[in-house]
Amino acid sequence: MNTPMNTHTRTNTRLRDSEFTFMFQLISYSFIIILSIMCLLPFLLILSGSFSSNESIVRDGYHLFPTDFSLEGYKMVFKFPTQVLKAYGVTVFTTVVGTTLGLFLITMAGFVLQRKDFKYRNTFSFFIYFTTLFGGGLVPWYIMLANYFNLTDTYTVLIFPGLMTPFLIILMKNFIRSAVPDELIESAKIDGANDFRIYFSIVLKLAMPGIATVGLFLALGYWNDWFTSSLFINNPDMYQLQFYLYNTMNTITFIDQMAIGTGITLSQDVPTESTKMAMAIVVTGPILFLYPFVQRYFVKGLTIGAVKG
Amino acid sequence: MRNKTIRHLSLVLALMLFAGVLAACNNGSGGSSQGSEQGGTSGNKGEKVTLQFYMLGDAPKDLPVIESEINKLAEADLNVNVKFNYTSWTDWDQKYKLLLSSGQPIDLIFTADWTFYQSYAKKGAFLALDEMLPTAAPKLKAHVPDDMWNAVKINDKIYTVPSTWIEYVTEGIAYREDLREKYNLPKPESLETLEAYLEGIKANEPNMIPIADSNANHTHGIRQLTSKLVNTAGQLPYGLDIMYDTPSTVTSYWGSAQHLEDLKTYKRWMDKGFFPKNVLNVKDTSNSLLQNGKSAVVLSGENPNKFNADVIKVQSTHPDWKLAYFPYPNAKGFAQPVHPIHNGFAIPRSSKNPEKALAFYEKLVTDKRYNWLTEYGVEGKNFEVDNGYYKMMGDAQTNGFPREGMNGWAWRNPEFMLYDKTFDDVLTMFEDLDKIKKPDIFTGFAEDWTPYQAEKAALEQVEKQYLYPLNVGLVADVEAGLNTFMEKAKQAGLEKIQAEYTKQWQEYLKSAGIQ
Repeated sequence: MNTPMNTHTRTNTRLRDSEFTFMFQLISYSFIIILSIMCLLPFLLILSGSFSSNESIVRDGYHLFPTDFSLEGYKMVFKFPTQVLKAYGVTVFTTVVGTTLGLFLITMAGFVLQRKDFKYRNTFSFFIYFTTLFGGGLVPWYIMLANYFNLTDTYTVLIFPGLMTPFLIILMKNFIRSAVPDELIESAKIDGANDFRIYFSIVLKLAMPGIATVGLFLALGYWNDWFTSSLFINNPDMYQLQFYLYNTMNTITFIDQMAIGTGITLSQDVPTESTKMAMAIVVTGPILFLYPFVQRYFVKGLTIGAVKG
Repeated sequence: MRNKTIRHLSLVLALMLFAGVLAACNNGSGGSSQGSEQGGTSGNKGEKVTLQFYMLGDAPKDLPVIESEINKLAEADLNVNVKFNYTSWTDWDQKYKLLLSSGQPIDLIFTADWTFYQSYAKKGAFLALDEMLPTAAPKLKAHVPDDMWNAVKINDKIYTVPSTWIEYVTEGIAYREDLREKYNLPKPESLETLEAYLEGIKANEPNMIPIADSNANHTHGIRQLTSKLVNTAGQLPYGLDIMYDTPSTVTSYWGSAQHLEDLKTYKRWMDKGFFPKNVLNVKDTSNSLLQNGKSAVVLSGENPNKFNADVIKVQSTHPDWKLAYFPYPNAKGFAQPVHPIHNGFAIPRSSKNPEKALAFYEKLVTDKRYNWLTEYGVEGKNFEVDNGYYKMMGDAQTNGFPREGMNGWAWRNPEFMLYDKTFDDVLTMFEDLDKIKKPDIFTGFAEDWTPYQAEKAALEQVEKQYLYPLNVGLVADVEAGLNTFMEKAKQAGLEKIQAEYTKQWQEYLKSAGIQ
């Protein structure tokens, strides 16, 4: 903000320029600040809710700062850390393994599909593209995984369905096409490199921003996944973190809405408002810290992919 | 030519590699437990099988312990093993549908009217038990009275084993008795006294918003104060009125003079501040609002059991408060115990061992060892019997298997049942309701909405958009609002739905012999 002041005395045009710059910065800064506040406020509410006593939440609603400070929410979450930790473990495992495997498969697929000397590349691309337009639907998908592959209650089912996303394959294909010129592959061939060598030494290195982008997409997908757990996992020890949380919340809704006419009694202890908030904080935590580290690749990869793809 | 072969070969190789990776993952984590192993302990029990048992909800923490205990018993008695599976409450209805439609082998599954037992049975999702019962489970056949077997029949066949414990899930008004005494208010036992009570609360307790119900569900309660509907919970679909004394006459409540009058009442209540202004968006459960002193009255969803839970909770957190309960049946003049369909177990068509499943279920209901293990857990570890009462060891947090922790509502056996001491109040309430008991003629009816599926979905939208605001008095001109709602509902196909529903209902009455 000091720059406009320093250049003030030079020339008239300079002055006008710097005034415009100042105005622009003023507007953009205030805009960004307002936007950030709008994004941060809900999160702050959750944070303060997690530190409030349950009774004060029910009585007076949420406040930006806890009116009645209490740690009971976190105490409840960590009273039985085994469940939370197990869910954490499952999610971390699926995220790491799924992202690594998925990146390997997607870059392979992208590399092969963009090679001009692969005769059936259009046919294969069409098959992949086709599935984005017409899917079989939920029931066939379920029957396939549950009855034919017998994947109910396995870790495979948490990883396998998310490995190859058509959109990501297409993204990767376009990215490799733009980042790795055909001439480079040709000259590498002349120098005696085989296809695997080209893939590992050239394509993977040049496609790093793309890999980071697709990797982040994959990782977020696995981290936020709850649906596969919901359908295929019966064993509570194998619940993903998000599903563990989601299910706890749902049980409360269920008790309130369904139990009216059914008269069923649920003996589980219902978590309180503050516990729910504490859980939300515990769940978002790690990915929140991961984000700043990957973000720079993410921005770069996305723009390159977007402009040239 | 040579190039092509190499390419084909490498493709196959790549595929195999991929399959190998998958297979490795799969083996590492268990794989399928389905199928049969050679037993060999005794000849006449056949080979050992693993039954797949499906329950709704979440499994208790100690389930593996219970499962192994049960399997010890079941292996000795029937040479079977049982695997207990739970759906969790998230999207349970969708999972239930997938379980039954995907054809994966399931041997026993929970059924109830609210899981659409009638319509699944009609569509042939379950095996008929009539012929199997006398041979595979004679004790169970004798345990369940004949009129119950008859009541669960769909198209003259038995598809589910009903629970024989009689309970009431009728609703009532739960309210703060201590405040009533303090301000000398009338007991809320009719629409007029209820309004007077609410007024008194509003005037004396400025920080309270008297009614705890959100999402406009209080209407089910109010309708039971003013009419003698057939349905226990006052929730007849599509705005229909069917009175208990004249069941074959079906009229429309929506658009009637009574409906308009009720809506005007809700408008008045809103104006007087009985509802919060954002009532349609309130996410807190009504019980938590009552338990935390934010509200004084719950009008809907308080069955005796739930009310009892509230009382226990309030006793521990606010010992100076008092809660009281007015059951709607007292206003209606009759109460209906739950229909036998309400809690049961069926054998899906995909079952590979229906006879064994039925024999195992017989043990669960009629053998005290099985029954206690699955209802209360391990004696001495999860619970103890104290003076004939059930007593939990530790508290709900430390105990891995609370009372009925497996959600075993369907195999409750009155002969073996243990109650918590606090449950005495509920049992007393049940005794009172027994005195005005009339048979449930509604739940045996199986609605088939395939002829008006599209209209039904459209109507639900219209209801949310136009009726809910009326129900909480958010529309300034009630009469015009009701007219708009009726107009939109008719556009959505209300008349077709009502006519078809009436037709099906009257056919049911005829076939069931109800006048």
